[in-house]
Amino acid sequence: MSALTLNAVTVTGRLHDVTLDLPAGALVGIVGPNGAGKSTLLQAAAGLLPLAGGEVRWGGRPVAGIAIMERALRAAWVPQEARFEFGFPVRSVVQQGRYAHGDDETGVDEALLRFDLAALASRPVNQLSGGERQRVMLARAQVTGARLQLWDEPLAPLDPRHGLELLGLAHELKNAGGTVVLSLHDLRVAHCLDRVVVLDGGRLRASGTPGDVLTPGLLREVFGVTARHEPGLTLFL
Amino acid sequence: MRPSAWTAWAWPGLTAALCLLVFVSLAWGELSLDATRLWAGLRGTDELAATVLWQLRLPRVIAALLVGAALAGAGLTMQAYFRNSLASPDLLGVSSGAAAGAVSAIVWGWTLAGLWVLPSAAIVGAVVATLSVLVLARRGAGSERLLLAGVALNALLGAITSYQLSHGVALWERNAQLLFWLLGGLEDRSWLHVWAALPIAVAAAALWPLGRPMDLLSLGETEAQSLGVDVRRLRRRMLVLATVLAATATAVAGIVGFVGLVVPHGLRLLVGPEHRRLVPMSLLGGGVFVLGCDFVGRMAGGLRLGIVTALVGGPFFLWLLRRRA
Repeated sequence: MSALTLNAVTVTGRLHDVTLDLPAGALVGIVGPNGAGKSTLLQAAAGLLPLAGGEVRWGGRPVAGIAIMERALRAAWVPQEARFEFGFPVRSVVQQGRYAHGDDETGVDEALLRFDLAALASRPVNQLSGGERQRVMLARAQVTGARLQLWDEPLAPLDPRHGLELLGLAHELKNAGGTVVLSLHDLRVAHCLDRVVVLDGGRLRASGTPGDVLTPGLLREVFGVTARHEPGLTLFL
Repeated sequence: MRPSAWTAWAWPGLTAALCLLVFVSLAWGELSLDATRLWAGLRGTDELAATVLWQLRLPRVIAALLVGAALAGAGLTMQAYFRNSLASPDLLGVSSGAAAGAVSAIVWGWTLAGLWVLPSAAIVGAVVATLSVLVLARRGAGSERLLLAGVALNALLGAITSYQLSHGVALWERNAQLLFWLLGGLEDRSWLHVWAALPIAVAAAALWPLGRPMDLLSLGETEAQSLGVDVRRLRRRMLVLATVLAATATAVAGIVGFVGLVVPHGLRLLVGPEHRRLVPMSLLGGGVFVLGCDFVGRMAGGLRLGIVTALVGGPFFLWLLRRRA
């Protein structure tokens, strides 16, 4: 069954006629040069942008017809960069993920441990480093318990250990039947995912398994890089 | 000390300050009453004390508490709305808008039509000012843009008010009435004014349950929406409540500056930014602050409330700017 369907989705000036069908139980990467529309695609998929055309469906249901509270139970979105004006404690921000669940505390402590935030739990969130902030936002998305997870460049500010741990978590979510969609720039990581979606200039260029999609020809055309491909290894020159 | 260390003391501290200030505000003045006479006056057995208490001091105390709660509540709501801890009704021009509305109503003689005219004119002025700020500075706007919009609006509304003042210099009586709006104060507030301040209690009660969604909104509107907050509806409500609070407070006491900035900001430093705690605490803290400033003004020989709050709030604001820089 398809977990996320984009039907000719258009966002004025940023995304043109993107059609995409992602199955449940998949780990999907969105790649593309800067300004390709990756963030816009994720926000549109999360039902957070007004569409100029087309339709987004979750599990076959049009998102436009789902109440805002219920949307929060089904999909979680993590922004590329979180800015905090106020110094909420880390734990309180993570617990915001439970808002749609009646503000209980289910899974909050586990998520803090999982994202290595237990020691920072009472620290003001506006005093954290970029990577720590990113982990707070990911932990908040985690406690929502939503099956569709949409992460905007989650790996960029993370150090290698936390980056690998995040990919491990994404695999767990996928194996439990969830769908994780994340944008990224590191094409080597993209090779570890089930599926890659390539955007360029707001249009869908390709979608499929990494091996099929990330061909030397496409890499040269879209990213302007020359790649040499060997079994299990891609070198960028 | 970390915010959490103060949290436990904030409620008892504020409550004690409230009780103390209510007591001294009722007891001290031109006619000082000891505890026995105060009690006798409240029960009506001491006629002179009863008149002073029931006609003068009690309505003034209640008006002070309501005005302070309203200004602090409005400031807190605007800070969460704009995601900017420098937002407040006076800096954004909402209070000047209310004053310009009230002053215009007095000058054009509309106030003769009924007692509801003045508060209504204040609310209309505040609404116009709020809408102007919304147009001038988008949500999530940087401090600079927001404050510049406020400066521009305050200058414009100040010009309107000054024109009204200079236009009819001969009418001393009317100008005295006008000056009341410009130098906020609580002199001669009667039960009538307490009734006029009733929307404050209603708006404050409506603000109470918005604390948690305000937490989410103050960290980003798209994020809040993705977590289940109906952002459009919440923002509309917050805007209406903040405007009603600021406008009603101004209608009752004139322009009282810095309360909306100082009280929420100070409390945030003490107990942290969580609105579930901050909303009730700002309402109470604002009331305590204004009652305290009014008492200080009375003791200092009739210094107007707006002057006292500015004397306390001005240095605090400068300190705040220094700290942020």
